[in-house]
Amino acid sequence: MNPGAWVLPLILGLPLLGALFAMCTPRGEHTLARGIGIATSAITFLVSLFALAYFDKSAAGYQLVTDAAWIPSVGVRFKTGIDGITLWLVLLTTFLTPVTLLAATKSIDKHVREFVAAMLILETGMLGAFVAVDAFLFYVMWEVMLIPMYLLIGIWGGQRRIYASIKFVIFTMVGSLLMLVAIFYVYVSYAEVTGVYTTDLEKLQTLVLPHQAQVWCFAAFALAFAIKIPLFPLHTWLPDAHVEAPTPGSVILAGVLLKLGIFGFIRWAMPLFPYGASVLAPYIAILAVIGIVYGALVAYAQDDVKKLVAYSSVSHLGFCALGLFALTPAGIEGSIYAMLSHGLTTGGLFLGIGMLYERRHTRRLAEYGGLWKQMPVFAGLYLVIVMGSAGLPALSGFVGEFLTLFGTFNAGDTFPEGYPTYLPKPRLLGAIAATGVVVGAIYLLFMFQKVFFGPLDKSRNGQLADLSGREKAVFIPIVILIFVMGIFPRPFLKRMEPSVNAFLGAYHAKLAEGDGPARLLSEQFGSRSRRAIERIRRGGASPDALPSPDTEPAGAGAPGQLAPRGQP
Amino acid sequence: MTFASGDLLYIAPFLVLALSGILLVLAEAFYTGKDRTALAGLTVAGALSSTVVSVALYRHLGATESRLLFTEMLVADRTGYVLTALFGVVAALAALLAPAHQRVHGWVVGEYYGILLLAASGMVLLAQAANLATVFLGVETMSIGVYVMTAMRRRSKRGNEAAMKYFLMGAFSTAFLLYGMALVYGAIGTTSLVQIQGRLVSGNLGLLTVGTFMMVAAFAFKIAAVPFHMWAPDAYEGAPTPVTAFMAAAVKAAAFAAMMRMFGQYMGGDRLPYGVIGWASPMVVLAAITITVGNIAAIRQDNIKRMLAYSSISHAGVLLVGLCAMGLGSASGKPALIYYLISYSLTTMGAFAVVAYVGSKDQERLDIDDWAGLATRHPGAALAMTLCLLSLGGMPPTGGFFAKFYVFKSAMDAQDQQLLWLTAIGVINSAISIYYYLRIVTTMYFKDPRGEIAPTRSAALAFVMVACPLVILEMGLFPNWWLSL
Repeated sequence: MNPGAWVLPLILGLPLLGALFAMCTPRGEHTLARGIGIATSAITFLVSLFALAYFDKSAAGYQLVTDAAWIPSVGVRFKTGIDGITLWLVLLTTFLTPVTLLAATKSIDKHVREFVAAMLILETGMLGAFVAVDAFLFYVMWEVMLIPMYLLIGIWGGQRRIYASIKFVIFTMVGSLLMLVAIFYVYVSYAEVTGVYTTDLEKLQTLVLPHQAQVWCFAAFALAFAIKIPLFPLHTWLPDAHVEAPTPGSVILAGVLLKLGIFGFIRWAMPLFPYGASVLAPYIAILAVIGIVYGALVAYAQDDVKKLVAYSSVSHLGFCALGLFALTPAGIEGSIYAMLSHGLTTGGLFLGIGMLYERRHTRRLAEYGGLWKQMPVFAGLYLVIVMGSAGLPALSGFVGEFLTLFGTFNAGDTFPEGYPTYLPKPRLLGAIAATGVVVGAIYLLFMFQKVFFGPLDKSRNGQLADLSGREKAVFIPIVILIFVMGIFPRPFLKRMEPSVNAFLGAYHAKLAEGDGPARLLSEQFGSRSRRAIERIRRGGASPDALPSPDTEPAGAGAPGQLAPRGQP
Repeated sequence: MTFASGDLLYIAPFLVLALSGILLVLAEAFYTGKDRTALAGLTVAGALSSTVVSVALYRHLGATESRLLFTEMLVADRTGYVLTALFGVVAALAALLAPAHQRVHGWVVGEYYGILLLAASGMVLLAQAANLATVFLGVETMSIGVYVMTAMRRRSKRGNEAAMKYFLMGAFSTAFLLYGMALVYGAIGTTSLVQIQGRLVSGNLGLLTVGTFMMVAAFAFKIAAVPFHMWAPDAYEGAPTPVTAFMAAAVKAAAFAAMMRMFGQYMGGDRLPYGVIGWASPMVVLAAITITVGNIAAIRQDNIKRMLAYSSISHAGVLLVGLCAMGLGSASGKPALIYYLISYSLTTMGAFAVVAYVGSKDQERLDIDDWAGLATRHPGAALAMTLCLLSLGGMPPTGGFFAKFYVFKSAMDAQDQQLLWLTAIGVINSAISIYYYLRIVTTMYFKDPRGEIAPTRSAALAFVMVACPLVILEMGLFPNWWLSL
């Protein structure tokens, strides 16, 4: 047993235990239930810091691995582990949950224990989906998230909550069930090749599927993840869900749930089906760019603050998708960094909207104005969050956006091999996406201006109280982290780097395996991926990092339109 | 033909059920008290002792041991005893549901208990059948009992209509079954399934094919596969809820037990099902339309019992996928079916237990809107129902999810193009089904209550409502033991 292996099972188990305790409290004891919720999630956060402590920042593979038999007869294992990518997403989740629970003490006043239980089960589901290294476990956790979120929207939501919650579930379900079919396909193909049934990701990754199957399977996974991200035009559930969800639901939804889409691509879809990814990547990148611009423009047109932030999520997550599918180290690191930053800033934006709503019971921009005088502390803290979201240098959003755009521009020659000539060049995509940054700054500042500046002319705004101690306790950690992430990105990026390089190296090396019947990776895979990683380290992620002709497997001669070419 | 008295040991589950059934019918005749709760207790005891006997026999037999009894009339093996144990448990649960429901809805009929056990004894015969004659006997013993139980609310028009429909349709299907068996006998010259298996290829192909198709159709009636499903929603709606639960869970499971024996085991294996007698080709089509039509029809239902009826139709479709996989030689087909049957039966019993609980005197509350706000007033019942519905919809971490997972895995194991498509259809349908299952959850949790609900309170009912969801959760989280059965 490796040191620190206890951390992940513990952070999965603690929230469940807390949920159980919360459900056992008497019905009227709201404070007790809330206390249990905040305490368990805070302990979970502290425990998750051990993951950071035990993490070996120079290693690329899974760390803190727990691997136990679960359902041996079908080869399902309870296998969890983290790498440099999940480490941060796990920490983001464990950080946001207690903050959200703390912020919700006032706004959620009915069915409190059920609320606490739903939030904690949701936390387990999210963490489980991040740390799962087993397809079955991942799918179970992916679905476990669904029901608590559905209940959060449906029970504690707004006017059209029923419509929004059902829409959320149906969208997500359709995607995830197609993903299940693809998981089945990989699972059975692996058994056909090796004679062993397993859902262990590390084993499944060694399987190379025929090109056509890869495209189909990747499309099935991509649908599930694209709905979650959400990519244009699958985003329509998001504004509804956000607007109707209670503040904690919105925070978790935007802060963590959406990240699972990007994360799913990195962890599952792309390593399993690199060829499928290489074929569909340009289209996903184009959709991401459309999402960036469209989301930003629609956000600008909103009068409902929550809807504005919801559409801004569509725009920001577009950056994450674009960076990822640029398939350069900078792009991917930027994508992950932008996710973390978006988790903090959008979480903060929603929390702030929630606090305003608790005081004024409206989310219309036109109802506000001049709050700076009335609530100076709130305005100051909120300004940092808004600026962080808009990507002001020295705040967290800047690093992510910069890296994703940088990565996309750099993808010039590499994006991806055999990029169809009739599609826009990556530079053009990057240039269009950059306008999203500008519009993003416009609508966010516009919102800030409408709420906080101008005359205090609405009489009801005159009585608004500034932040209470509890609310400050909610905001201050977020603001501090936004500064830290903006000023010191190095500690974060350094821990991601080995994992990202290894991901890219394996991706290119597996892509080089070429077409053919389902089989395991060839012997050259190891040396190819090492060489690819070496080139990436030296700064070129160009496709000629890929195999030289002498190592090209004989079977790779499929009239391979997109098969990587080795010639320098 | 010799009578081997040693064989009696191996049909002990049947004997226990049949004898206690007869005893209970007699007891009812001499019973003077008004309250029939004591009879329910005896029924549970009888049903559970048959389960205990099944478990003992299961352990007594080797893992692959199979013994033919009474000159190839019945067979004793582990698969059979798992299913007989399940029938015992489901009969006991159905008995637990009854007393409170009978009291509240005014149909105190003591014969319910005796007939319940007699019908269960027919199911046990089906699980152990090794001869077309025993299959027929089992089907009849089971069905006649259930027809009577459906009609037990004598004053209810709905109940009578349901029973009549069920009976007429059932009689038709029995005729089909008998005729199909006669044709198969004509083609091969024996009714013993073991010998049929050996001589399949040499028989008269025309007769065999027609005979097999007729038997498929007859069983399609019994499991309510589309397009032989018309009776099911009416019968489910009209029958008293405990009977509906028993029908949905046990009758379906028993019909599948017989089909596993006939088609999966003795007429399956290798590529035979598609080839000479070809029962799998119609079955694959039946499965595809059953899953789809069942689900789409369920979306439009406002009555919970009808919705559950259509949902059980679509579940029959999924089970047919597993049956085809088993028949086409997938090694995981049989454990998948067994797991699915156990999880489905317990989930159905749990769901109907909640339906029985929510109803009160003169008001059954079968309309979905009547369930508005149930979670506020009766959170336990709402939680139990939610778990059951999620399991029916195949959401992890419940048994229903793993059941579907395993059935579809076994279908893909069979490496058959048609089954690959069936899997895709089945999975897509799961997404559709989530919509109508969640509709009930939505109503219970998201809508405001309309007036008081005075539920049917009973310890026995509460026990079923607690036990079933817990077991299906356990099955979903730790399925390994259940798969080894």
